[in-house]
This record gives sequence, structure tokens and C-alpha cells, in this order.
Amino acid sequence: MSIDAIMPVPRYSARDAFLDWLQMLTGAGLIAFMWSHMILVSSVILGAGAMNALAGFFEATYMAQVGGPLIGCAFLLHFVLAARKIPFRADGQQTILAHAKMLHHKDTWLWVVQAVTAMIILIMGSIHMWVVLTDLPITAAKSAARIQGGWWLVFYLILLPMVEMHVSIGFYRIGVKWGFIKTGNRAKSKRLELGLFSIFMVIGLITLIRFVTLAA
Amino acid sequence: MARTLRFDIFRYNPQDAGSVPHMQRFNLDENPNMTLFIALNRLREEQDPGLKFDFCCRAGICGACAIVINGRPGLACQTKTKDLPDDITLMPLPVFKMLGDLTVDTGVWFREMYQKTESWVHTKKVFDPNAEEERMDNAVAEQIYELERCIECGCCVAACGTARLRSDFMGAAALNRIARFVVDPRDQRSDKEYFDVIGNDYGIFGCMGLLACEDVCPKGLPLQNQLGFLRRKMGITALKQIFKRG
Repeated sequence: MSIDAIMPVPRYSARDAFLDWLQMLTGAGLIAFMWSHMILVSSVILGAGAMNALAGFFEATYMAQVGGPLIGCAFLLHFVLAARKIPFRADGQQTILAHAKMLHHKDTWLWVVQAVTAMIILIMGSIHMWVVLTDLPITAAKSAARIQGGWWLVFYLILLPMVEMHVSIGFYRIGVKWGFIKTGNRAKSKRLELGLFSIFMVIGLITLIRFVTLAA
Repeated sequence: MARTLRFDIFRYNPQDAGSVPHMQRFNLDENPNMTLFIALNRLREEQDPGLKFDFCCRAGICGACAIVINGRPGLACQTKTKDLPDDITLMPLPVFKMLGDLTVDTGVWFREMYQKTESWVHTKKVFDPNAEEERMDNAVAEQIYELERCIECGCCVAACGTARLRSDFMGAAALNRIARFVVDPRDQRSDKEYFDVIGNDYGIFGCMGLLACEDVCPKGLPLQNQLGFLRRKMGITALKQIFKRG
């Protein structure tokens, strides 16, 4: 129930602007990280030595030991910030789903995809980070052993498309929201978004196949 | 051969306690150059005089006949039946107050919006009726005119995911309205004053960038570009304020 029983005095506050900046910056930072992450793991396609050399560099410079947990914090912070816009109550979820179905509008559906993938990434990404960061250093052999054992291949076959969808849609949406993508180049940017998703999915799948076939 | 169109139209009378929201099926032979506005008038004249829908200008200027056409908000008078399939579903615009069948009250929403955005030229200059009107650069005048073309139909608000989720969100119509005054050199409001109105989650920072507003606007207003422009401008204004304080 809401009633008009008070006379609120408007007070200047940059809170929402600050949170929006932070949401965008953590998102952009995580996109940059995911692309760098892809370079690290896909280097195994060239050979275990290439991946070990890159991982060794991150280890020697403490980027894995310090950067890893920092990325984890940015990941959780980004979730908290972006969750401000996601409906967590059933009525809100029903409204946005009914709205997307009614409208037949791709960008509205893309937002739904972003919200759903966010929840899956929150859980699976946390598990992935915990497993990797509590078992440093990162080596091609350890990653291969993990993927070759148990249900980890299935785990990554789910996590990979979730992350790639979330990252490419997020990249597009930052451009749209902050006005870098304008009406004139929106169609082109959407093709770029699809292109990025496709390229990273192909690289990711080849990387997973390489890990599966990498001899212990 | 003329098609027979099947209309599924939302029926509900909120003033009648016994009325239950439901869809009603109508069949109608298609005429050449038939618009939904013509179809609705024929349905009312020929089949059901109680069918409620709004119209005024029939020329895409008044914005009164906005409805949801097969899921997309649009103007009945500007939508030709030849561009639609045989089955046409018509719903009232969401977000706005339902008055009956396809009629909603957009007027109250827009009046509130004008009050919130203080939609008038803010100036301390005293008007001199004898003075020659101040000249304005033609490019600026055209830019203002471009944003002034909004007919207040409410399609952008009805198509907005954020507005559907949060009734306190101002929507693209309001943000476009502010953008119009930002461009206008006669309005003496500072960036901070604009920030006080839209620099929050009710305004520009609530926008999730779904762009349905841009895609359904019957007047083709450049809403996407205005929203991006305002977010950058208000974001930078906030940063400036933080550094000024420090």
C-alpha cells in the first residue's frame, strides 16, 4: 500500500549516477578480463607449453594470487550492482516475461537472456573461481585433468555459452546505454555482438576439446 | 480477393463490477487501404456499438489511438491492415490507467510527467512584447523541432521493460522532453538542475537500454541517441559534482 502522507524535499544525490558508473565500469572491466582469460586458456591450443608460460607469467607477477581474488570481488560487486535492475519477486519476473513475449522484440529478449545467464554465471562462475584459485598455480595439466574427470566437461559446456552470451550482450548494451552505439550503427553493432559471441564460442569449444585430448 | 480479418479484441469495463477481462472475436471483410482505425470504426458501427477505443485526428498527430497491435504498441490510424496477418490481436496500452476495452488514460500520466520534468522554458529574462524575437541558429531550431515532434501517444512507455517493472520510471517520453530543453538555448537551467530531475533511477539511470521505445515510436524520434546523450551528460555532471565537493 502506498499513500501520499509526506511532503518529500528533493535533495541532491549522485548515488544512482555513481552506482550506474560502477555497474558499467565493473562490467567493462570484467569483459576485458574475460577476453584476456580467453587468450590464456585458448593458448593451450598452441600447446601446453604456451599456456604454462602465460600462467607462469601471471604467477610470477602475482597477478593470479592478487588479481584473481580482485576479479572475484569485481564479479560479486557487478552482480550486486546489476541486480538492482533485475526483478527478484515473482510478479516482476512474470511481468517482464509476459512483456518480452508480447513485444516480440529482440533487445528486450536479450536483456532477459542477460538476467538469466547472470544467475547461472553467479553460481557456476563462483565455483570455477574457487576451484582454480584454491589450487594455484594454474597449469595446462591440472586444467586438463579437471576437465577429463567427473562432470567438469558438462559444467564448462554450460558455463561457456552462458559467459559468452552475457559478455557479448553486455558489451553491446554498454555501447547502447552510454550512447557509443547510435541509431545509425546499431545494426552493425548487433552483428558485431553476434560475431564476437560466435568467435569466442568456437575458440572456447576448441579449447575444451584440446583439454579433453591433452595427454596427462 | 478480399480477406476476412479475425480480430481478437480485449474487452473490459473497470466501472462495471461484473465485468471480467476477456478477449472477444470479431470477423470483418477487409477493404482496400483499410487502417485499423477504419476497421475499429466499422466494428463499432456494424457489430458492437459498445466497443471502446480512442481516436481524434486520424492522421498520426494526436496520438490518441495508440493500442497494442499483435504485441507491438502502435497507432491504429497509421497501421494498414494489409501489413498485418489475417489474425489481429488488439490490446490496450499497458502501464496507463485502463478506462475500458482499448481505451487508456494517457493524459494523467503525461500531465504528471510535464510537472516532474518542469516542461517549460526556465528563464529569468523578462518578456518584452515590443522587442524583436531573439534569433536562433537554424540547426538548433531544427534539433529542437525534431524532439518536439513527440505526439504523446505513450507507445514508448508501453513498450519499455523498465516502465513495466517500475511505475515510478519516467520513460523515454519524459527523457526526450528533457533533452529538448537541454538543447534549447533559451532555457537557462544548469546541468545540475537537469540532474536534479533525471539524474537518478527514476530518470536516465533507470533506463536499461532495451530500446523498444526507439523501435516502436510511430514518429521515428531519435530516442536511442537522446537516451545515450543524457546518460553521458548526467554521468559527467555527477562526476563534476563529486570533484567539486572534494
